[in-house]
Amino acid sequence: MVPITGEFQAESPLHPAAAALLSESFARGWADPHKLHRASRQVGILLAEAKEIYARHLGIRSDWIHFLGEPGLGFHLAISGLLRPNSTLFYTATDREEVLALAESHLAPGNSRQIPVDHFGQVDMSQLDAKTEDLLVWQLANGETGTVREPLSSHSGFSGSIFVDATASGALHALPSTFACALWDAQAWSGPAGLGIVAINPESAWRNPLPSLSPTQLLGSFSIPLALTGAVALEHWMGDRLMQRAKLSEMNSHIRNFLKVEIADVDIVQPSPTILLDRLSFSFLYVDAEQLVNELSANGYSVDSGSACVSSNLEFSHVLAAMGYLTHGNIRIRLHNDITWPTVHQFLSTLKIVVEKLRAI
Amino acid sequence: MNEVDCLGLKCPLPIILMATELKTLAVGDCLLLKSDDPATFPDLLAWSRMTGNEIEKISETTFMITKKS
Repeated sequence: MVPITGEFQAESPLHPAAAALLSESFARGWADPHKLHRASRQVGILLAEAKEIYARHLGIRSDWIHFLGEPGLGFHLAISGLLRPNSTLFYTATDREEVLALAESHLAPGNSRQIPVDHFGQVDMSQLDAKTEDLLVWQLANGETGTVREPLSSHSGFSGSIFVDATASGALHALPSTFACALWDAQAWSGPAGLGIVAINPESAWRNPLPSLSPTQLLGSFSIPLALTGAVALEHWMGDRLMQRAKLSEMNSHIRNFLKVEIADVDIVQPSPTILLDRLSFSFLYVDAEQLVNELSANGYSVDSGSACVSSNLEFSHVLAAMGYLTHGNIRIRLHNDITWPTVHQFLSTLKIVVEKLRAI
Repeated sequence: MNEVDCLGLKCPLPIILMATELKTLAVGDCLLLKSDDPATFPDLLAWSRMTGNEIEKISETTFMITKKS
């Protein structure tokens, strides 16, 4: 059997508690929670309980929550539902590809404005001249580099609506005090793939951008087992996280120090000032990322890369370029909860040998 | 002036070939790098920050490198 997630790849393995529930959940049938039968009411109660778990950990009201079977689609449904013909869409160069695609296709040229980011992924909000009908995409944390945005409340006020991208930060970082819509991906807390959680503030101007008889409802399809499993994963992951925090912090620092001391010419994405402890991104000068990823794979380590030669569309990471980091020779790793110190030490030793070998070619 | 023609080559080759050529030059010397890979310019900016050498964008595909260290 081939594992579907590698040790250092972004995709997280399903939390063991969630995995146990998932296999049991899929083995049984699920009634439509909107019907009146007893079985339907039981499903409705379970989903309501799951929403309470999400609400408690994500810092939102349970009646704002909508489930979505395709997290990436949440960007389109939320953002398009908030844009009006005279809106300007404010976004940053480090936003996800879904946001960049929306900005390019938004209504008419000139109706989108990209906000520059600094070397730490932070933005200067003071120069924004926004109207109430404008929309800001606010990414709490970047999943590629692990950089975390300073809280929006510390910047000058933005008078338009705010869409929060919490797909990488999960439940770890607080939402802005006011927002119109927010989106999470259950994989952020070792939940199942194929589950997005969308929060829609009922006081916002959001309207379903798709033809719908219920314009204030997000009527996406979703899997009931995945929605229930995601809640169980979140509950356990938050509990584990408190215990994991010290280990991940120490490992993150150790890896940074090793790279600085042991390998020359490494461009490490810097803390900004806070980071997602489980993510690191670094680039080796004069190294081909495709060769690096393949060599590491041959040695038993799976990593991701933001370099053009490794990406599916052969384009370099727009995030690294926007923050001024080296785009070639890049690898990014994620430290999953079950990572051990021997694995980290062995990985770093291998990495050093591989980089030296590739630079000598 | 020394010139490194990397038109048609993909990163990191333009950076590697340019840096190899730069090693043969004295501090203060310049070389011209030609590259049409879109990753070259952002990578040159990062390379300049990491190594202390200077770059100047002459055109979309031409860059002036000044050896500083």
